[in-house]
Amino acid sequence: MRNYIPSSMESRIKTDEIENEFGVQDIIMLLFTDSTILTEENLRQIKNIDRGISKLSSISRRISPFTTSSIKSSEGMMIVDPLIKTIPSEGDTAGINELYNDILNNPFARNIVFSSDMTSASITATINNTESESVVLAKVDSVVAANTGNARIMKGGLPYIRLHIMKDVKRDAIVLVPLALIVMLLVLKLTLGEWRSVFMPFSVVLLSTGICMGLIPLIGWKLSIITLLVPILLIAVGNNYGIYLVTKFHDICRKGKYIPKREIINEIIRSLKKPLIYSGLTTIAGILGLLTHSIIPARQMGVLAAAGVLAALIMSILLIPGFIYIRSKRTEGLKAPFLGNDVFKKILNPLAELIIRYPGHIIIYSVIFTIVLSSGMSLLKIETNQENYFPKNNPVRQASDIINRKFGGSQTISVMIAGDIKDPVIMRRIDELTRETEHTDGVGQVFSISQAVREMSKAVFLPEEESYDQIPSTRESIAQLFELYNMSGNYDDFSQMLNLENTRAHVLIKLSDPSNVVIKNVNNKIQTITKDIPAEVTTGGYAMIMADFARSIIKGQIFSLGFALITVFILLSLIFKSFRGGLTGSIPLAVSILILFGFMGFTGIALDAATALLSSIMIGVGVDFTIQYIWSFSNNIRNGLTYEESTRTSLRTIGRSIIINALTVMTGFSVLVLSGFSSIRFFGYLVLISIGSCLAGAIILIPAIIMKFRPGFVKADMNTLKKQ
Amino acid sequence: MKRMIIIMMLFLPYFHISAQLPDADEIMDRGRELTLMGSLNANVNLLITEKNGATRNRTIAMTTKSYPGGLEKRLIRFLEPADVRGTSMLVIDNKDKPDEMWIYLPALKKTRRIVSSEKGKSFMSSEFSNADMSTPALSDFSNKHTANSGSADYWIIESIPVNDNVADEYGFSKKVSHIKKENYLVTKMEYYNFDDELFKTIEVRSYYPLSNGKYTIEDMAAINHSNGRKSEIQFTNLKENVEIDDSFFTIANLER
Repeated sequence: MRNYIPSSMESRIKTDEIENEFGVQDIIMLLFTDSTILTEENLRQIKNIDRGISKLSSISRRISPFTTSSIKSSEGMMIVDPLIKTIPSEGDTAGINELYNDILNNPFARNIVFSSDMTSASITATINNTESESVVLAKVDSVVAANTGNARIMKGGLPYIRLHIMKDVKRDAIVLVPLALIVMLLVLKLTLGEWRSVFMPFSVVLLSTGICMGLIPLIGWKLSIITLLVPILLIAVGNNYGIYLVTKFHDICRKGKYIPKREIINEIIRSLKKPLIYSGLTTIAGILGLLTHSIIPARQMGVLAAAGVLAALIMSILLIPGFIYIRSKRTEGLKAPFLGNDVFKKILNPLAELIIRYPGHIIIYSVIFTIVLSSGMSLLKIETNQENYFPKNNPVRQASDIINRKFGGSQTISVMIAGDIKDPVIMRRIDELTRETEHTDGVGQVFSISQAVREMSKAVFLPEEESYDQIPSTRESIAQLFELYNMSGNYDDFSQMLNLENTRAHVLIKLSDPSNVVIKNVNNKIQTITKDIPAEVTTGGYAMIMADFARSIIKGQIFSLGFALITVFILLSLIFKSFRGGLTGSIPLAVSILILFGFMGFTGIALDAATALLSSIMIGVGVDFTIQYIWSFSNNIRNGLTYEESTRTSLRTIGRSIIINALTVMTGFSVLVLSGFSSIRFFGYLVLISIGSCLAGAIILIPAIIMKFRPGFVKADMNTLKKQ
Repeated sequence: MKRMIIIMMLFLPYFHISAQLPDADEIMDRGRELTLMGSLNANVNLLITEKNGATRNRTIAMTTKSYPGGLEKRLIRFLEPADVRGTSMLVIDNKDKPDEMWIYLPALKKTRRIVSSEKGKSFMSSEFSNADMSTPALSDFSNKHTANSGSADYWIIESIPVNDNVADEYGFSKKVSHIKKENYLVTKMEYYNFDDELFKTIEVRSYYPLSNGKYTIEDMAAINHSNGRKSEIQFTNLKENVEIDDSFFTIANLER
């Protein structure tokens, strides 16, 4: 996910800075669960796996029940021992009970290597860069597989999440792309009838998708959860222009008289060339709105999808007339498809009458409907937690849930404090930060050097002494406690909290609820507490990157929406040679955006890396419908029809193409509901809503507006066309 | 008979080598004898360098005294850096039971006894273990020559702890010592973990010749291969065979 975010982003720079000093915080966690984890068999299994992992050169640091020390103060002595000196044998109840108490009383063991309810244990390991992440994880998996036992083992942490995302993206690409093609083939067959007609737009889909996917490795990009949407988008959208051309061809053929092919092609090109080019350009403009996004794969998707749509447009205009020319079958007397004119007539004729009779009512109901649904926007949530990409029954999600509930959480905020760490003023502030954040909702655990200092003070002083469990008041005292911890504690623990020169301290905050609200709240607390600390404070960590990511999603959303809407408005104004035309054409898009976000708010579907792309795609695809309708309407008016007749004819002819197009787009995208990612599934559902509303806007609202207000640009357009 | 001759010929090279090499225990013992001292007084500079280049420097004054039966006592006083000056440690390195360690923290005016079951634990959080700072008992290890021992100017001897308890105590499963043939001094020691992988190398960079013909280590470096850390120890102001009263190694003296 970090690669989704530009390296110039503040949180990424700061996180890199902290990781340069204290190492990468990317950890893997192996979770062992059983009804009770403190049995000889379970502990032996954990020990064997721990030993197996310790052998791997690519694992640099481990925290496990067998690496954890126990530091106790007893009869004037400070006793340093491993937490588990010997594994209590089965039936050694006293030994098990002693270990149970040792764990509960050890702040470095409780909820770190054992959960308080003793149903889970964990091994946490840091991966170094000596081998590729997938190789390391495969080695860890083989160690785990070689040591089976009673305890159920789950694997968590970001490297595993990344691995599963990669696997699921590949699986989705292998399953969903062919599935989308099959679905598309069926929809085209149902709507266009004969296979030859189906083949024409379908070949354009195949070629444009192929060109687009070929660009990914050529440019050097990788298939990500977001770029996975590109082939689906092209399968859904790439046939649009072909459908307009083929249905126009069918319309001409069904007139019943023989027309030479050359004339048919001339007629098709004459009537459709301009609206198709304008549709294509506006679609590309809408999709290019993604270029303003701050998420890198979103920009990549913008480039790829725009290139794909351009390829589809050019190939549709060049290839399909060619296909029509070389087809051997006579052109007249085509068989009607399953979803033939009759089916559409039954829907579109009454709709046309309704629009002609009650345009005002339709506009008012549309406004009311839009206002009601858009009120859900206030409930819209933003989700950047990668764990939620997976459905609840996914093993990665289950492991994350246990880590969040029982082990403090796997996502972290890091605070680096640069200064004289031995200065009691700074140390007390670190302590305040530690204790305050510890008690913040959504925070699982906090680790800091001040805790080590307090632990040492507990080992040095007796509970009745004033200095027990306190931060000392002099620099020397702190320095000497550091020395004591250094000599008795686990050096690796110490090095995670304080650098060797004692000039930088690290406060690691683990989040049990890594939601944006919690991250924001914790960050505010950090800023308040460290406001006047005499040291330089850097706040970073994966959770902070996620918060930045959330902000960038909103920013990206606003920018790309704004860009797409403005560009489409300008293009529409130029196409219709009228400011009002641009405005009218943009209405269905604006309405659809409001409905989409309102629907997301009401249904609790969050705006995330995938769903944030919807609005740009929707504008790109939805604008087609409006252009096609207005263009057709103007043509009909030019041909001397009245407003009423134009509405009827336009709905019957282009209205049918628009519906077929919308259906193909919706069914194309609908395969996404079978994706392994929740977020992509939601994307699939939301496309149905958004394209559905664009469709309704183009064939209900726009005709009603034109009927009611009879805008001049329709006539002006007609005049312009006459001049040509 | 013919078969017998062939078998004997096959094994001949091994008989030949082992016949030429002196006994491994003997070599280790000679080396040990050469560096075994009664008592020593020195300033020690310990420099730890992290993989990323960050360093930590400590200067201590160390007094050690060896007793018959393997007991060794050590008193360490921190000289540098200033904020830990006066911090003192008394280590009683017992042969057959866990080490005893007391630490005095002058700023807190507190002395605490630290009991640790891990002998292989690091010396002042460096790459050297407490065991590296003392002379190990010969009986703790079984020694043998490695395949290429004696081929150049060195004896290369593998020392394996006699049992698991000793191995746990020292924190390694095998040690390979490179001993100079001409003077029986160890120049390099390689330590292997329980999975038989090299995890630490100590190089003795120079010895300080003592008046009685023996030697003491003057400069050595330990490299931890698993975390890339390096620790270097240099002994200065070496005073050999100093008369140190047993009362020097007491808690009362620690707090002085």
